[in-house]
Amino acid sequence: MRSRLGAAFLLAVTLLLAGGCLGQAQDTSIPPLPAAGAGVDAGLGPEAQPLSYGPGYKGSPSFSPQGSRIAYVVDGYVVDRPVGAGDTRRWTTRDFVAEDAEWTFEDGLAIFGAASGPVPADEASRSVYQARSGVESLGVRELVTDVLAMSPGPEGEGLIVALQTGSYRSEVALLRDSGAVDRIYTSPLGGRVTGLSLSPDGRKAALAVRTAGDLTSFELHAFDLRTGTHRQVARLEDGLEIFGAPQWTRKGICYVVGKEEASSGTEPLYDVFTVTPGSDVPKPTPGVGEDFVASSIRVSPGGERLAIIGRLNPNAPINLYVLDLATQTLEDLTVNEDMEIKTGPDDLAWSPEGESIAIVARGALSEEPRVRAAPKGSLLEDFYNLYEVPVEGRAR
Amino acid sequence: MREAALWISGAVLAFLATAGAFLLLANLGTGPSERNLRPDPRPDESGHNLQLVLNQDRLTSLRALPGQEFEVGVRNAGDEDLSHVNLTVEVSSENTAFSNALYYRENVNELPAGSSVPVRFYLDLSVAGSMASRSASAIPEPPRKIIEVRATTPEGVSAIKTAIVPV
Repeated sequence: MRSRLGAAFLLAVTLLLAGGCLGQAQDTSIPPLPAAGAGVDAGLGPEAQPLSYGPGYKGSPSFSPQGSRIAYVVDGYVVDRPVGAGDTRRWTTRDFVAEDAEWTFEDGLAIFGAASGPVPADEASRSVYQARSGVESLGVRELVTDVLAMSPGPEGEGLIVALQTGSYRSEVALLRDSGAVDRIYTSPLGGRVTGLSLSPDGRKAALAVRTAGDLTSFELHAFDLRTGTHRQVARLEDGLEIFGAPQWTRKGICYVVGKEEASSGTEPLYDVFTVTPGSDVPKPTPGVGEDFVASSIRVSPGGERLAIIGRLNPNAPINLYVLDLATQTLEDLTVNEDMEIKTGPDDLAWSPEGESIAIVARGALSEEPRVRAAPKGSLLEDFYNLYEVPVEGRAR
Repeated sequence: MREAALWISGAVLAFLATAGAFLLLANLGTGPSERNLRPDPRPDESGHNLQLVLNQDRLTSLRALPGQEFEVGVRNAGDEDLSHVNLTVEVSSENTAFSNALYYRENVNELPAGSSVPVRFYLDLSVAGSMASRSASAIPEPPRKIIEVRATTPEGVSAIKTAIVPV
């Protein structure tokens, strides 16, 4: 009995020692990380999928009317590519300085920028050019000069542009798909238009207008495209500015209003305000939350949702949100894991059917060199790239 | 007395068996050791394994000037000797509107299995000339340099590394 007990004890100790030493004998190698691609969580959550790769300062995405392609500006020139797999197609020469590109029809782009001469200053007017696919020379045709802002026209056809006709005087014009001027409205606006967008029914336009004065002074105007008349909807307090284009939704005109906070340094604080129909009093947009810091907004094709890039509070990461204006619910669409989401007013776009939103993002910049085991053309988070983020259901 | 000894022995045995089982499970879940975190490519079917090593400190010392010394470690981690390893270094700007990429080439004639050699290049990382593009003034931040290193052999063995260098 004693010997059996001893043997069992010895066996247990042997097992114990063998188990303890098992993991030290082998070193396994880790296979190299795959280059980022479809199905890769690039730091914005699993739903966001890349639409572009490689180097370049990218921005201003715009889906084609059928939603099969996406155009964007990269380092000043304009390209497009299929939303799925496919090659990138260049629309302008590399010395073009484009700021925005919008599809005016399936095979044509309207490009806001400057094709030649010195690069215009921030507040200077630009020109609008027309580019067509299949033109081998990458030639663009200048449609109109002295343009302050542009937006796709009613039902996605043609363009609506704000023209600079004086130092603080603007006019609105409609262009046809062909680029010909369809109508110039003769009722001028007393200021410089800094952004415009159409109402969901395509009959009106909301305009942000910077008026003359010592301090920053902004007005919000509604422009009736049938009668050519306009009216001031709201006037902001001095020092406040409208960031980007106001968005005309089914629940009123929404806009991002910002003010440089002198006490907190350079970090601006932006809120989303809404002027509801029948009221000329701007109010914080319901559902966003009082601590929310908005950067840019874009109304859905149906006019009932608002895509917002911003922070839930000043200390939260920047994410993409969608606000259902009817139910006043805010849904986060990205899970930002140390990514820089671009916050320019044109750096987000809805797909035509409202199923997804394109944003621009990159990994956090480092002052140290980075080494990757992949060709530069397949790198993703090292540079600003486009991502498509699906939206639950379709925009209403 | 004998019964007590039996109970004590049984308890010790049960304790040791349980501890051993936990140790066994813990070791089964242990990840690779820290020194294996470098992403080494696996050898291909023929036993070839060509690796490129870029020294982080040397990359940090690069400046936007001509004649910058850039060293690439070329390592044959496979089972077979390699010959005629062609190295191509492409230096380009993060700003893709600049089309003036520079190319540098070197050749390693023999690279026995398990050996590595340093290969030096003297790169022109100056920004002069690159800034001719109008788009440079439209981009709010200075572009970084991209150094892409490719190694290939006539047998089709290849390796690639890309460094993104703020200069």
